[in-house]
Amino acid sequence: MRPINFFLALFCALVLIFPSESMASDEDEFDAVHHSSDGYYLDFLPIGKVELPRILIIRSDLTGYGLRVYPSTKSALRSGEILAEMPDDGHQENTEDVEALINSGKHLDAKLVPIEGTVFLDLSITKHLIFALLASGILLVIFIGLARRYTQGIGRTTAPRGIFQNLFETLVVFVRDDIAVPNLGKKHALRFLPYLLTAFFFILTCNLLGLVPFGATATSNLNVTAVLATFTFVLTQVNGSKDHWRHVFWPPGMPVAVKFLLIPTEIIGLFTKPIALAIRLFANLTAGHLVILSLIGMIFILSDQFGNAIGYGVVPISLGFTLFVMFLELLIAFIQAYIFTILSALFIGMALADHSHSEAH
Amino acid sequence: MLLGASLLSANVGLIVWLSIVFLTTLLILRKYAWGPITSALSEREATIATSLNRAEEALSESKRLQEQNAQAKREAEQEAQKLLRDAREEAQVIRDQEAQRTQEEIALIREQAKQEIERDKQRALQSLRKEVADLAILAAEKVLQENLDGARQHALIDRFIDGLTSQEPNQTPSA
Repeated sequence: MRPINFFLALFCALVLIFPSESMASDEDEFDAVHHSSDGYYLDFLPIGKVELPRILIIRSDLTGYGLRVYPSTKSALRSGEILAEMPDDGHQENTEDVEALINSGKHLDAKLVPIEGTVFLDLSITKHLIFALLASGILLVIFIGLARRYTQGIGRTTAPRGIFQNLFETLVVFVRDDIAVPNLGKKHALRFLPYLLTAFFFILTCNLLGLVPFGATATSNLNVTAVLATFTFVLTQVNGSKDHWRHVFWPPGMPVAVKFLLIPTEIIGLFTKPIALAIRLFANLTAGHLVILSLIGMIFILSDQFGNAIGYGVVPISLGFTLFVMFLELLIAFIQAYIFTILSALFIGMALADHSHSEAH
Repeated sequence: MLLGASLLSANVGLIVWLSIVFLTTLLILRKYAWGPITSALSEREATIATSLNRAEEALSESKRLQEQNAQAKREAEQEAQKLLRDAREEAQVIRDQEAQRTQEEIALIREQAKQEIERDKQRALQSLRKEVADLAILAAEKVLQENLDGARQHALIDRFIDGLTSQEPNQTPSA
């Protein structure tokens, strides 16, 4: 109880001092959605922002395709080759106004437009990509380290030793025995286990990184979850059995008229599964963050509206709820990783199934 | 505008990057992590399963042996008890026989002793009778002198002694 009280007090103090200062210095209000969304910077809020490299593939009629790499958005705008287009009015800033734009901090929201040609592909590094890379790095370190213990013989012939090995072995065995094997069957489970394990731990790590101070949740980005869902989709379709495809294009045991009604539904069904996967993960992870930021924001909104006394009074309630949602998010981090993985296994397992259709359904 | 756009905007560059990152992670982990880990786990599980089987077999084997031992012990005990009982019975028989033989021997010795005594008595009586007769004759000779001849006196004495001996056997067994 005591350490929790201490951290609560510390957290209160930090929240009270830092964001109010930074908000006072910032011109615009703190925007929860903006904070949760992706960006071309790493946000160490009270200290400052670190801009990430911008990589643009530009197509122009004169020179064809060209690769432009800038160490930051700032330097891209200062190079004189790129204009900033503001998202709210579509107005393109002149090169002379660039310094003013950079000082306002809004340049990071701008769309980069080359003076010559058009952007073919924006391969700029984003905050969520950095955290996905971080998650990937963490996975490599943890699991190659874990594998080394097994190749050394610890856990192969003897019992696993230590918290590290026992903890991760439990999770690996959980994915194998409670996700892969029940949905794919013993025969196929081992074939898809690497994908399921990678997806599970990648999503879990991304989710947890969002709970770390200065962290961001890569899985609260629809692009990221869409990529993951696409992997599941491709694996499902590539490994679809003859039965799976017959089910889609000529559902057995139906009158012909119903078949024509069912075929479009089945085809839509192929795509709704991964889309649901992507949206579920994205929405769950985004919602938690928005709720936390909104709860914290309550303090400042109320103190703005009704004075500082009310603002201070709201602090314990607001922080209590925040703490609760934090724990909920911790739970959700695991649950969503589990759900994504088990549904992937289920979809792949359903497509793999090669059952006889003597029975009508 | 900013609200919806920033959360839901598509970012093709991110999709490309992330596909590369995830695929690379997947391939590296599959080769260097999941492969060794899952093979080690299944190897260990197989080892555990076979050891369990072996332990199970050993247990049933030892149970069987124990059962056998107990059976053998029971049989040995029964055997020992039977032997003991037999020995006891045999000893009893021998003891009884011995006792009987001793009894018989004692009876025999007693019988022999009785006969010996009887014989000695007869012999003593015989010599006593002769002595008494001689003494009587001597005494009568001295008393009567020539009244009677030797032969008649002897017949008289013998009659007298016969009269004594026919009375005597009735008195000796009580002595």
